[in-house]
Amino acid sequence: MGHEPGVSAHALEKRFGAVVAVRDFNLTVNHGEIVGLLGPNGAGKTTVLRMLAGILTPDSGSVTAGGASMSENPLEAKRRIGFLSGDTQLYQRLSPREMLRYFGQLYELPPDFLRKRIAELTGELDMDSFAGRPCGTLSAGQKQRANIARAFLHDPDILILDEPTNALDVITGRFIVDAIRSRRAAGRAVLFSTHIMGEAEYLCDRVVMIHRGAVVEQGTVAEIVARSGRKTLTDAFLAAIGAEDNGRSIQ
Amino acid sequence: MRPRILWTIFRKEIRESLRDRRTITAMVVLPVLLYPMMILGISWLQNSEEEKTAAHASPVAVWGDATPQLLEALRAGHIEVRPSVAMPAQLAAQLQSGRVPPVRPKPEDPDESPQKPKKPEPDTPVTLAARPVLLNRSVDAVLVLWPDFAAQLSEGGLGHAAVLYDSARPASDKAHERVDAALTKFREQLLAAREREDGLRAGFAQAVEVGDANVAPPSRRAGFGLGMMLPFLLITMCLTPIFYAAIDSTAGEKERNTMQTLLCAPLRPLEIIGGKFLAVAAIGLVSAGVNITSMSLTMARISAGAFAGSVALHQYVLAFLLLIPIVLLTAGVFLAVSVFARDFKEGQNYLMPALMCMMLPCGVAIVPGIELNAVMSFAPVANIALLIKAVMMGEAAPDLSFLVIASSLLYTALAVAAAARVFSREAVLVGGSDTLRGFLGIDKPGAVRPGGAAAVLIFCVALVTAFYGSLLLQPYGALMQIAIVEVAFLLAPALLAVKMGHFSARETLLLRMPGWRGIAAAVLVGVSAGVVGAGVGMRLVRPPADFARALEKSLLMDNPHMPLAVLWLCIAILPAVCEELLFRGFILSGFRDLGKWAIPATALLFGLAHASIYRILPTFIVGLFITMLAWQTRSIVPSIIAHALNDGLIATLVHVRPSWLDMNSMREVPWTWIAAAVVVLALGFALISRRASLEAPHGHSLASAGAR
Repeated sequence: MGHEPGVSAHALEKRFGAVVAVRDFNLTVNHGEIVGLLGPNGAGKTTVLRMLAGILTPDSGSVTAGGASMSENPLEAKRRIGFLSGDTQLYQRLSPREMLRYFGQLYELPPDFLRKRIAELTGELDMDSFAGRPCGTLSAGQKQRANIARAFLHDPDILILDEPTNALDVITGRFIVDAIRSRRAAGRAVLFSTHIMGEAEYLCDRVVMIHRGAVVEQGTVAEIVARSGRKTLTDAFLAAIGAEDNGRSIQ
Repeated sequence: MRPRILWTIFRKEIRESLRDRRTITAMVVLPVLLYPMMILGISWLQNSEEEKTAAHASPVAVWGDATPQLLEALRAGHIEVRPSVAMPAQLAAQLQSGRVPPVRPKPEDPDESPQKPKKPEPDTPVTLAARPVLLNRSVDAVLVLWPDFAAQLSEGGLGHAAVLYDSARPASDKAHERVDAALTKFREQLLAAREREDGLRAGFAQAVEVGDANVAPPSRRAGFGLGMMLPFLLITMCLTPIFYAAIDSTAGEKERNTMQTLLCAPLRPLEIIGGKFLAVAAIGLVSAGVNITSMSLTMARISAGAFAGSVALHQYVLAFLLLIPIVLLTAGVFLAVSVFARDFKEGQNYLMPALMCMMLPCGVAIVPGIELNAVMSFAPVANIALLIKAVMMGEAAPDLSFLVIASSLLYTALAVAAAARVFSREAVLVGGSDTLRGFLGIDKPGAVRPGGAAAVLIFCVALVTAFYGSLLLQPYGALMQIAIVEVAFLLAPALLAVKMGHFSARETLLLRMPGWRGIAAAVLVGVSAGVVGAGVGMRLVRPPADFARALEKSLLMDNPHMPLAVLWLCIAILPAVCEELLFRGFILSGFRDLGKWAIPATALLFGLAHASIYRILPTFIVGLFITMLAWQTRSIVPSIIAHALNDGLIATLVHVRPSWLDMNSMREVPWTWIAAAVVVLALGFALISRRASLEAPHGHSLASAGAR
């Protein structure tokens, strides 16, 4: 696990009609590493993450997850990935426990392991009080915890998280941040996108900045700040995407 | 496709649907309540109205001088004469003056169409005078007697009378019937009296007494009534829960943003659509079962008195079985359409036209006079509606039933292939829109050969156009019929699809020259496959004698003196070229991803294309051998040779009728012939057994992705 990259993307390109959403995108996330994907709205973050998770097929380029090619062996590649998005919802008429059982069966987890894993995750994520209630009746925070449990259920080597703390309260947000750190500690590869610079500075071993579908800067937080000649990651980010003036005027 | 995954998705979809009030209401509550409320309610209302009418005498105005005997006959006929509604003075004067001619009875025209609007009768002084008293309901009918009525009767002449009524009012209609019956009885009594007075034999004046009797047994009469109504009701009621379940499991999933969790799970698109399709179809089938049960119990309840056990249980079971293709077809179509919608509301907007398109054809069963025939047997949905009607009346013909079921299953396969295709398009699943060219898989040139979905689509197009085309071309003679059907309806769709799909013609249609072994194998298969096919197939499903005669006639192109060379050209060579390029070319290429299963799949479609329950087995068996030839030699040429030899030899035998073969007395192919043919076949296949056969993925099109 140590030497092989968790997930890697090579020369990805994706078009939606005439619009080029992502071009020449290259990325590698190693095991035991958290990589943050930063970019303004519409930069192509979600498209990149969806291509890496196998939801979208790139027009050109390739994705490999845990050594399995997403185009040639998609089932094996997807089996190694846990995907979570801030806007993913749950089956309203199923309870979190039923939903976890459903996805466990889709991932072909052995029944005994699945039972133990559901008990473990519902305990770890403090879900016992609502795990039997229909998802339609849960709060946003409870839903996102159920979603985390779904993404972590098969104990994937790679976690791809698309703005996972989006629109969550501080407690649930912190919960997710802690969960991400615990996965890194367990040697998993984590790639997540965020708008929150503080979150990126606190969590990420490396940061990749994208703008208009292309990588404009990457490295550790310290390297990026140093290269930009600015004092903070926010300033470095604004400089990288050429929006310093807009940033100042807002300030 | 992994069955366990299908089962998991199926169970989840069912569980979610069972927790959805809309689906439960449409699937169980509505049918359980609808039939008792509708059938028992309407029947109760109708009966109580009829009882009310029967209990009361019809109020009738009699204008003119009625004889005491006539008044007595009217009273005996449950009619209350209302002297208070008197004849208007103006009409009385007009009648007295003799200016108003009597109303003559109109002879009934049995050929008059009930649908054709009748010409309104011109107004006369009598109708003008009677209309107000009928419309204001002073009386239910007016009996007008011409001034000399009584005198004519007493003198042995012809008395004139007219009954005026309002056909739009049931009570007035009833009064008309009663007055008519009373007058008939009065006339019969009068005739009998006249015959007695004049010393004539009884019946002299009437001359002919005509009675009639309905020979339809109660079950048939009940089946006729039920058959008109049942298909529309049942199909409509089955479609409703499918409607909701299909939207919920596709557009609903997109709306709730749960689709992407499925797409990032290790699942094949076909497994997702397969699980959803099975769940939606199961909901439709449960609904069909609940509908049939509720309807049969309701009918048993109302028919307990009049038609005890009128429609047999097996007829309801057959009706249920016939709903299966409709349910599968609808589930496929609704899933394929609703997945384009981004939310539930949009799903309803998209599916409503599809629902109407499915419901309208059911209406044909309600139209009197429309029955299942060859033309209707390929009309989607309408064919099943008419077959249910025929089953209810106990007159479903095996050959037509086969055509209906086979064509319906084909349409279902097409709908499922379309749904699978849609589910493999990420633009639809994630973005919500797609182009037609993209959907058909012809937006990206470079694919070598078609996929399974394209193969099924082209087969359906060819089959339906060839079937209707041959019916339309019948008046133009066998030669024209064969030539146009083979070239325009069988070959052209395959060639067009190759061109539009930018497929490689060489790869798709197997345009390669075989070696001498391939040619030799083709000859051996060509002379023996038909013997095995006919020998085994016709023993299992024995065709009736008239079918065999019709087949012989068509093999001779309706002309026993047709030159043998023309027969070989039209019955053997032309069909061999056209049909082989379609079946062993396009369709076999489309199925190649199935591995060796492509051989029986292609042969099955070849058998189905012969559109007869008596021909499907023989043609399937022959098709198997010819497909194996193409598979093994990777060339279309041997299959064309074998096909042409098979058809040509049969046509020659029918044409020449050799003395050593008594075809009239021979009911089946002897086993010794079959055994010899098997040996020849084995020799043929031994010649090509070591050749490299068609292998699975050389390169496939995007169109195949959904069907894999």
